[in-house]
Amino acid sequence: MISVTRDDFDLNAELDRVRRPDMGGLVTFLGVVRNDGGLEAMELEAYEEVAVKELETIRDEAFSRFPIGAVTVIHRIGRLRVGENILLIIVGAGHRKEAFDACEYILERIKQSVPIWKKEIGKDGERWVPGESSGGDA
Amino acid sequence: MQVRVRAFARLREAIGGELTLEVPRDATMGGLLAMVGDVSQEAREALFEESGELRGHVILMHNGSRVRRAEAATLTLAEGDEVALFPPVAGG
Repeated sequence: MISVTRDDFDLNAELDRVRRPDMGGLVTFLGVVRNDGGLEAMELEAYEEVAVKELETIRDEAFSRFPIGAVTVIHRIGRLRVGENILLIIVGAGHRKEAFDACEYILERIKQSVPIWKKEIGKDGERWVPGESSGGDA
Repeated sequence: MQVRVRAFARLREAIGGELTLEVPRDATMGGLLAMVGDVSQEAREALFEESGELRGHVILMHNGSRVRRAEAATLTLAEGDEVALFPPVAGG
């Protein structure tokens, strides 16, 4: 499943949705809002239609690069407080190495090219988190 | 003809939200960007260097696909097109 949503997710329910008897491992990455020096919340914004399409492309890339059986990516948007879930990636595979490698690949690709932005909201004001990549078109 | 302009994050704040602009037939992406810059001083400063060149970090999309900066000057728009402007992404 690929989703960009305001709603929280249930980790166990998402794992149960993808687990299969031929999978020996389900590598899960859970990104949460970190308390960075006075941060109270984050406002996440997406170009939603394009973000979903880009996540689908990244999922397809992962399937073509690694021998894996399932991919779930759920990216939340909206206002999230410290400790709340931002991002869930689950990769199910026969063996651990390809599941870990694919999970890391998906996370790095999300940071590179999915049109989502974060604004930090703290006691002392607001600040857009600088992006890490221009997407290769400088 | 009408073209929809969507901007995100810092650029959305500078431009003031979504715009629907009336552009001449055969308008280019470059021409549209100049019109967006004319919306306000803040919009112009967010999009362009003092020299008038598009700022290095501005990413362009046309109907959901990336547009290289070099192509913007010649890319011709059509009625109902959607152009998006945004800074480098920071999800994950």
